[in-house]
Amino acid sequence: MGQLLKFGLILGVICLCATLVLALTYEVTKPKIEAMLKAEEEAALKVVMPEADSFEPASADGIEYFTAAKDGTLRGYCVRVTAGGYNGYIRIIAGVDVSGVIRGVRVLEHQETPGLGAKISEVRPGDKDPWFLRQFAGKQAASLQVRRNIDAITGATISSAAVTDAVRDTVKRLMEKVKK
Amino acid sequence: MGEFVKGLWRENPTFRIVLGLCPTLAVSTSVTNGIGMGVAATFVLVGSNIFVSLVRDIVPEKVRIPCYIVIIATFVTIADLFMRAYSPALSRSLGMFVPLIVVNCIVLGRAEAFASKEPPLRSVIDALGMGVGFTWALILISAIRETIGNGTILGMPISNTFEPPLFMVLAPGALLTIGILIAFINYFTHKLGGR
Repeated sequence: MGQLLKFGLILGVICLCATLVLALTYEVTKPKIEAMLKAEEEAALKVVMPEADSFEPASADGIEYFTAAKDGTLRGYCVRVTAGGYNGYIRIIAGVDVSGVIRGVRVLEHQETPGLGAKISEVRPGDKDPWFLRQFAGKQAASLQVRRNIDAITGATISSAAVTDAVRDTVKRLMEKVKK
Repeated sequence: MGEFVKGLWRENPTFRIVLGLCPTLAVSTSVTNGIGMGVAATFVLVGSNIFVSLVRDIVPEKVRIPCYIVIIATFVTIADLFMRAYSPALSRSLGMFVPLIVVNCIVLGRAEAFASKEPPLRSVIDALGMGVGFTWALILISAIRETIGNGTILGMPISNTFEPPLFMVLAPGALLTIGILIAFINYFTHKLGGR
């Protein structure tokens, strides 16, 4: 019994020290991590909505979006899209103008298979933006459909369709909400 | 000095002791990943070896494994948080494999086999040797896989004339590369006198 207590005590002290160290590290790195995520999203907003320069967060019925404006005139919306990919969630940000035409799409985070699904955000040498996502720009959001107006990536039909379907459905829902 | 050198070759964790293969197989798809993983694992090795060595006289034999795991997990979490804060792209491409350093058998192996019996200074040197040994092994494997499988090195395209065989960056390529490298290393070690 005495031995058990001693073992527990030693382990407990070590755990306590570990907790203190981790709490400290967490506090130090937390603002930095949040700032990084925010900066990444802000950079993506400008890319998917090039003609706007001010973005205001808003939400409607569980859809989180940003209103994109330039000189006080509403130019469109940017919306956070989450797609169920081949391997976990794909976090996307999509820009759409007031008539529902896609301006740009960017993948923020994904865990798709390297060499196959990961090509959803691949930038070819010499290009500036990902070739798969470039197809979305200029198309009516509600019409997006793999094989109809979006070419799927060879060997990654599931990832391609997941991105396409999620962008179409989320933007469609957003447009219905904002039109009211 | 001998404690440092042994990790580089004679007791190289990847090629000679063949430990920690799970992260090696998974992250050696690009040289950047390989370096990131190697540096993170070296940091964890050094940190955990110091503390395991410091507490080696007060930790009772029967609860030593949980104690070591707590120490290792602490350093892994520190490494993970700092990577997220200062290198989000790398942290994202390594993904789950940074937290999984906790169960990397190289780290627990060194704690159990070395740091729990040796003074802190020698343990640090041992950890550095093992860490550098693990890192160069990762760089070698990932350089081969990235060049052949993706046609790039450190993300830079080397040639546009051939379509890279994709399987080299997928799981089979990892197994083949590591297998062939270990075979070569065993062959030469044998030829050089079986040491």
